[in-house]
Amino acid sequence: MSEFHRFVVDGIIDPAVTLAAFAEQVGLSENEAEEFDRRFFDTPDGRLHADQSTLEVRNSVEFPLMCSLVWLKGGQVLASARVESGFSPDFAGSLPAGPAFDRLRELVEMRRFLPVATVRSRLSTGGHLDAEEKTTARVHIDLPSLPDGRSLPALIEVRAVRGYEAETAGLLRAMRAHEAFEPSDLSTADFARAMVGASPYLPGKLSLQLDDRASADEVWRVVLRELHEAMTANFRGTVEDVDSEYLHDFRVAVRRTRSVLQEGRGVLTPAARDHFRDGFKWLGDITTPTRDADVHLLDYPNMIAALSPEYAEALAPLHELLLSRQRSCQAQLALDLRSTRRAQLGAEWAEFLSGEGPWMDRSSGESGDAAEADRRARDVAAERIERAHSRLVRDGRTIDGSSEPEALHDLRKDAKRLRYLLECFGSLFPAEDLSVAVKPLKSLQDVLGEFQDTEVQAHALAQFGRQLDTEGASTDTILAMGGAIEQLSVRQSRARREFAARFESFDSREVEHAYASITGTGTTKSKKRKKKNR
Amino acid sequence: MKILATYNIKGGVGKTASAVNLAHVAAGRGNRVLLWDLDPQGAATFYFRVKPKVKGGGEALLSGRRELADVIKGSDYDNLDIVPADFSYRHLDLMLDDAKKPLARLRKVLSGVADEYDYVFLDCAPSISLTSESVFRAADALLVPVIPTTLSIRTFDQLDAFVAENPDIVRKLKIMGFFSMADSRKRLHRELMDELREQRPELLPSQVPMDTDIERMGVHRQPVTAMFPKSRPARAYQSLWDDIVERL
Repeated sequence: MSEFHRFVVDGIIDPAVTLAAFAEQVGLSENEAEEFDRRFFDTPDGRLHADQSTLEVRNSVEFPLMCSLVWLKGGQVLASARVESGFSPDFAGSLPAGPAFDRLRELVEMRRFLPVATVRSRLSTGGHLDAEEKTTARVHIDLPSLPDGRSLPALIEVRAVRGYEAETAGLLRAMRAHEAFEPSDLSTADFARAMVGASPYLPGKLSLQLDDRASADEVWRVVLRELHEAMTANFRGTVEDVDSEYLHDFRVAVRRTRSVLQEGRGVLTPAARDHFRDGFKWLGDITTPTRDADVHLLDYPNMIAALSPEYAEALAPLHELLLSRQRSCQAQLALDLRSTRRAQLGAEWAEFLSGEGPWMDRSSGESGDAAEADRRARDVAAERIERAHSRLVRDGRTIDGSSEPEALHDLRKDAKRLRYLLECFGSLFPAEDLSVAVKPLKSLQDVLGEFQDTEVQAHALAQFGRQLDTEGASTDTILAMGGAIEQLSVRQSRARREFAARFESFDSREVEHAYASITGTGTTKSKKRKKKNR
Repeated sequence: MKILATYNIKGGVGKTASAVNLAHVAAGRGNRVLLWDLDPQGAATFYFRVKPKVKGGGEALLSGRRELADVIKGSDYDNLDIVPADFSYRHLDLMLDDAKKPLARLRKVLSGVADEYDYVFLDCAPSISLTSESVFRAADALLVPVIPTTLSIRTFDQLDAFVAENPDIVRKLKIMGFFSMADSRKRLHRELMDELREQRPELLPSQVPMDTDIERMGVHRQPVTAMFPKSRPARAYQSLWDDIVERL
């Protein structure tokens, strides 16, 4: 991507006048300005914003039927296509075909596009030319306003054409010296969102920065509050089924909460811990059928791609069945999430988290546990991580080619437990150790996940096949489903084969050192046991 | 990244016009495109208003002293970049001869930008030489413009013979011939095209007409597909690109 600079045009003079004078001063070639109504779209978690790109449906004001979908980054059109007037993208599948939009599809994955801002812009594009009249820099000028007429900051953007950065330096010097120009990272869409008070994008990852001197009581509270926020942020989108990722992120927040509660022995009172563990287990369980249905649908394109085209076509009844199942599971989930039980759990949890006093009653008979709550969180978390790591290593080493699938499924649970601990409490430890610890764990989890998911899907497909058979599906459909199950079996076998290498990477000396550094357990029993095992 | 070379043993058959316009069409379709002007005459470079100069010349690129990415110039069009011609390319054969594994050299140089582009067009000088053999090894497909004249068709036969005799050089290279500078008003052109299509059904269906708009590229220094996007030759290049993508 070429060098890109954006400036806000400030000052008391009309920005259009300032920009016209500047264009003349530095000799910009300028195309005639055109007015467009622009509707910007992004995913709920702001993937385009994070990518510093924008997606917009752009309608010419003068020719309302001239409508384009434009994906822009750094002043460069990455993809554009004519679309019907009134078009709004929803999922990646609604984007026009072609390699440029394929890259956008990869970026947004399964997320839905939501409208994030609407503006009317007076746009003009100019160029800074050399003696050969070759464009050495592209200059875009945007005079935007909101639909209610309120003005947004005027922007001037400069993109040096690749290989002509030196030729653009003079232009940029002139811009930096201009008293009305202020460098800005914000795009027109960002300004419009800020002006209308739009909600922030959903956070993609946990952004916990924990105090490593704080007590376990304080840190557990911070982590559980953060997870509660993630649950709350994804609740409405889950109920309304905006896209499958809301439910996914909601479930992750629930599972992490359960895990933090599980690891909170001695930090929370046993009564509260047990009560909420039960509550969140129930909450997790009611989301499982819909998530399974989502996974079937998300994996459907892979399933089709692995089959020959005629079989792929024959699977259409299965797709219908999957859609229908997803709809009914989702309807039940929405009811459950709106139920009194869920509301009560939510209210109790919010009240519990909002309390400022200590969770453990120091005066009760639980004094041993209370001491745990007062210890440094870093020490408590390190012990939990050490235990989870040792268990994963111990159980993983017992697995060989003859192990039952259940052994791998159990190992997946061990791996998840360790991963959640690292995700939730990782910021208490050195980032470099954490990076070495997480990467091979993630890789191991991927292969364990593939192993289990393919098995679960194969079982489900067999069940769907029987259902479709009784409903009178064609022989081709049943054969195609057999083919799909076969493909899942191939994938599962591949995952099984890959397990040994992934586990070996995880069980390496380098990774062991990273865990030892995190947990400070260079001479623990576990360490000695590991040495003995080698 | 797919590498496509516009090539013909004979000169003046529309290689450069094809490279320039097809590259522009491909970029317009949202592909990230690089055009490397390997012809020391630098016509493609001229059309894009870029200076025909590469720091250190072709030798620096082939020896690896300079990365290809460092000499790339952006064009006036989104997603379309240029590696300019350099007068030193006239000695490309000698440079390759001095290099280790000369046939693999060009592909190795291009591998440095493999993540940045979907398509690379190589606009080659007319000849059969070490340079063209290196192009054959690097490219996924040769785009061969053929004027419907006896002489031009003869050179196509020569290329065929070379391909048949040198399977170790061409490997999986796809040869995509198409009619260029075709004048349907000329009876000879029509007859030769009919005859050749019968003999070579693998020729691409689209053909590029003889048209003054293409000649104006030199005056306007723009691809015809940018200057006159609705014109007959522009539509021909668009359709030709569709044919190429289908064959790839």
